[in-house]
Amino acid sequence: MSENAKKDYLCEAVPAFNIATAMEEASRCLLCLDAPCSQDCPAGTNPGDFIRAIRFRNFKGAAEIIRTNNVLGGICARVCPYEVLCEKGCSRSGIDKPIQIGRLQRFATDYEKASGFQPLEKVEATKEKVAMIGSGPASLTCGAELAQKGYDVTIFEEKAIPGGVLSYGVVPARLPQYIVDEEIETIKNLGVKIECNTKIGKDKTIDALKAEGFKAFFVGAGIQAAKMLDVPGVDLDGVTNAVEYLGAAKPSNGDIDPGNKVVVIGGGDVAMDCATTARLLGAEKTMILYRRTREEAPAHKIEMSYVEELGVHFHYGFTPVEIIGENGKVTAIKGKGFRDDSIIQLECDKVVFAIGQAADESVKEIADLKFTPKNTIIADETKDCKTDIPYIFAGGDIVNGGNTVVQAVAVGKTAAESIDKYLSEEAK
Amino acid sequence: MKKRTHADLSVDFLGFKCENPFMLSSSPVAATYEMCSKFLEAGGGGVVFKTIGTYIPDECSPRFDHVRKEGQPFLGFKNMEQISDHPYEENLKFLRKLKADYPTKCLIVSIMGSNEEDWTRLAKDVTEAGADIIECNFSCPQMTQENMGSDVGANLELIEKFTKATLAGTDIPVMLKMTPNIEKMEVPATAAIKAGGHAIAAINTIKSITHIDLDQMTALPVVNGKSSISGYSGAAAKPIALRFIANMKQDEYLKDIPISGIGGIETWEDCAEFISLGCTNLQFTTSIMQYGYRIVEDMISGLSIWMEEKGYKSINDFCGKALQNIVPAEDLERDFKVYPQIDYDKCVGCGRCYVSCFDGAHQAITWDPENRKVEIDEDKCVGCQLCLHVCPVANCITPGKVVFKPQDQFGKGSEAVYAEDVPCKRDIIVGQYDE
Ligand SMILES: Cc1cc2nc3c(=O)[nH]c(=O)nc-3n(C[C@H](O)[C@H](O)[C@H](O)COP(=O)(O)OP(=O)(O)OC[C@H]3O[C@@H](n4cnc5c(N)ncnc54)[C@H](O)[C@@H]3O)c2cc1C
Ligand SMILES: Cc1cc2nc3c(=O)[nH]c(=O)nc-3n(C[C@H](O)[C@H](O)[C@H](O)COP(=O)(O)O)c2cc1C
Ligand code: SF4
Ligand code: SF4
Ligand code: SF4
Repeated sequence: MSENAKKDYLCEAVPAFNIATAMEEASRCLLCLDAPCSQDCPAGTNPGDFIRAIRFRNFKGAAEIIRTNNVLGGICARVCPYEVLCEKGCSRSGIDKPIQIGRLQRFATDYEKASGFQPLEKVEATKEKVAMIGSGPASLTCGAELAQKGYDVTIFEEKAIPGGVLSYGVVPARLPQYIVDEEIETIKNLGVKIECNTKIGKDKTIDALKAEGFKAFFVGAGIQAAKMLDVPGVDLDGVTNAVEYLGAAKPSNGDIDPGNKVVVIGGGDVAMDCATTARLLGAEKTMILYRRTREEAPAHKIEMSYVEELGVHFHYGFTPVEIIGENGKVTAIKGKGFRDDSIIQLECDKVVFAIGQAADESVKEIADLKFTPKNTIIADETKDCKTDIPYIFAGGDIVNGGNTVVQAVAVGKTAAESIDKYLSEEAK
Repeated sequence: MKKRTHADLSVDFLGFKCENPFMLSSSPVAATYEMCSKFLEAGGGGVVFKTIGTYIPDECSPRFDHVRKEGQPFLGFKNMEQISDHPYEENLKFLRKLKADYPTKCLIVSIMGSNEEDWTRLAKDVTEAGADIIECNFSCPQMTQENMGSDVGANLELIEKFTKATLAGTDIPVMLKMTPNIEKMEVPATAAIKAGGHAIAAINTIKSITHIDLDQMTALPVVNGKSSISGYSGAAAKPIALRFIANMKQDEYLKDIPISGIGGIETWEDCAEFISLGCTNLQFTTSIMQYGYRIVEDMISGLSIWMEEKGYKSINDFCGKALQNIVPAEDLERDFKVYPQIDYDKCVGCGRCYVSCFDGAHQAITWDPENRKVEIDEDKCVGCQLCLHVCPVANCITPGKVVFKPQDQFGKGSEAVYAEDVPCKRDIIVGQYDE
């Protein structure tokens, strides 16, 4: 078993930099003109500038640059797929390998927290009431931006803990819950209120909120419905999906029965998170069943390597055809070659479907908006996040059908600009 | 998102209210309108315009070299440039436009003449062009003309003559830029102030040979087979600059004379160090040549955040605060030693501390080759802390317990005190982050 695998489920897998190692890494940075890294961050976190700040020993200034551009900078530092974003065009690759931008970002934001430095200005709420529906990264960012523009912001979340996928999905080995809690606390300190256990459309309606004085709404409801395959045996005890599996594990600090022989179906990052969770929580054998090849798997290769290092067995080229059980409980899964007639049968007591999520039907109860056939909301999140109802805006996974945290942050910023423009000009 | 505002960096320098003390020093980084303008737009508080003379030098090529250690370039930088090579009228035009476009920024103009008439004329012309302050360059170590450059800064008679000649041509404050190629800067500085000068700028570059080209058997940079001794600047110059400044600020006659600190400034911490020794103005060149004007952004941000955190409301709140604690060697307390303390959770077992302690100190570290474990032998350890400086792991060796030497003249015993307040090394990391 590798070093990584010995790490506890709750422990961050990638070790942190300290001042000495961060300075070493920052010294590798070429301090490029028109830094390519800064151009490649969807949220405009501006690595070129914050790495320079680190290089010149302005650690708090580095945190300030990060936070002013990306209020969830400490989270993004951990969950972003850097190798396809900021690190992709890094000029240093022309010499050896890219700067570890995410780790430097984590250093700066950790330094900020550890030193108690507060980079952001709290602005008195003197303007209209605005509601965020859902508390994922899109709503958190939009809410924080609006609070700083002087709006009175409340976030409504149907679940018991805010954070969306950050709190119910991403494994603690990559994103510990205390980091999510701290960043949400920072946003609350900016004046944003959060009401949990409140599902808009069910516990409260937009009309009721309008009557309470809310003037604009941002829908950042995410996509929470897990896709399942329609094969015999899916109803057996022991068959579950990523949303349920991860969503039970993280909020309970891993206090679940992970299964002993676990088969995860899928080849994306979510499947990797499920396999990581099973393995780190003590499943004796964890297997991944994926219909295509390693090269074709959508998961980021860094994540796949990590999961491989944890000792997870990958079975490529098979798609499930039947789940076999005894006394109502799963005992094995049978797969058939996706491109040939091979047959595989894996003994297991847990099957986790991680083949993607879709928007929940219930999103339609929020408001009478225009939806795609996949139940996602129609809005242009690259432009203004406007829906066909002037006072309702939408963005994040519920619009793009599932993207990244940093994309949700970028959208949150766009939506905040757009809502501010609407309330200060168009609605007047 | 909006950031908070931090401490105010504005400071008075010779009657000019500078928005911050950060200035380009006189050199190619401040040689044209466009260059100065770009720096001022980046946030600089002012510029010291490249030395203007009536003499236009003919420069050599190449003209720079730099010293590296292991992978680090630019530890020190050598140049063989002289004063501005732009036409006199053009320089005056740059100055007029700078003052017109940036009236709130401090425009300091460096000048250098070869005789008294020259100095007077230069002072008059740059004053008319809009200078707020004049800096007399008494200190360029590579001038090819007689009566110019660092020879002036070492000649009390010329200092007096040229300071007076400058004052004759102007009514604005005059600052004298000193050469470090002497032992006591207090002497020429006093002469300059006695002659009527208002402030001191220190330091200019240090005479140097950075490398020898072992094939061509000459120094670097090689100009068609030959080279010269010439000025050294950058990070390596900082300790030398700081000591000259401390000496002047501790001098009875000079202590209240404003000083513009120069030499190896790159970071906000460097700036804070110069201020803590009494500087109210800061200049830099080499760091700009290496990294560009943008580094002033981190000086502004870093210094104002740090001051806010320390509760300093203005530069003057901590200006000169370190001077009282820099004392002659004979005044240091010598009745105790501070043992190093090894954090075994951090130690990677490299043995560097053992090597350095054995070969360069007091053989006070033992080495267990089986377990790759080092241990400090307190009987032999003198508390020099060489090991702490060589250990490659952050905060692995730190100052530990303080022990008073037995039977010292104060009669103190050898009681061990674990002192929380022993000054620790720089790289102390806050809280949980300390790893
Ligand atoms: C397991 C997993 C791992 C991932 N890992 C990464 C990663 O490493 N890096 C990365 O960049 N991206 C990752 N992603 C994708 C990323 O998490 C999402 O793109 C991002 O969270 C989308 O943010 P959002 O704000 O749109 O929605 P979400 O984070 O989904 O938040 C939506 C919130 O809205 C709430 N909600 C929904 N409807 C209502 C309603 N009617 N009333 C009140 N509340 C409501 C939901 O309960 C939820 O809390 C991962 C996704 C998953 C599922
Ligand atoms: C290339 C170069 C040219 C310089 N030219 C001048 C000059 O014209 N006049 C002057 O007073 N100092 C000149 N200097 C000295 C700098 O202004 C400064 O005093 C010195 O470099 C130390 O500061 P630094 O370590 O920040 O570079 C020059 C320095 C360099 C490197
Ligand atoms: S692209 Fe790479 S080398 Fe260039 S500034 Fe960004 S991190 Fe540094
Ligand atoms: S730095 Fe510019 S001026 Fe100097 S040699 Fe290179 S290209 Fe020419
Ligand atoms: S130098 Fe530091 S890391 Fe190396 S053996 Fe000594 S204490 Fe350990």
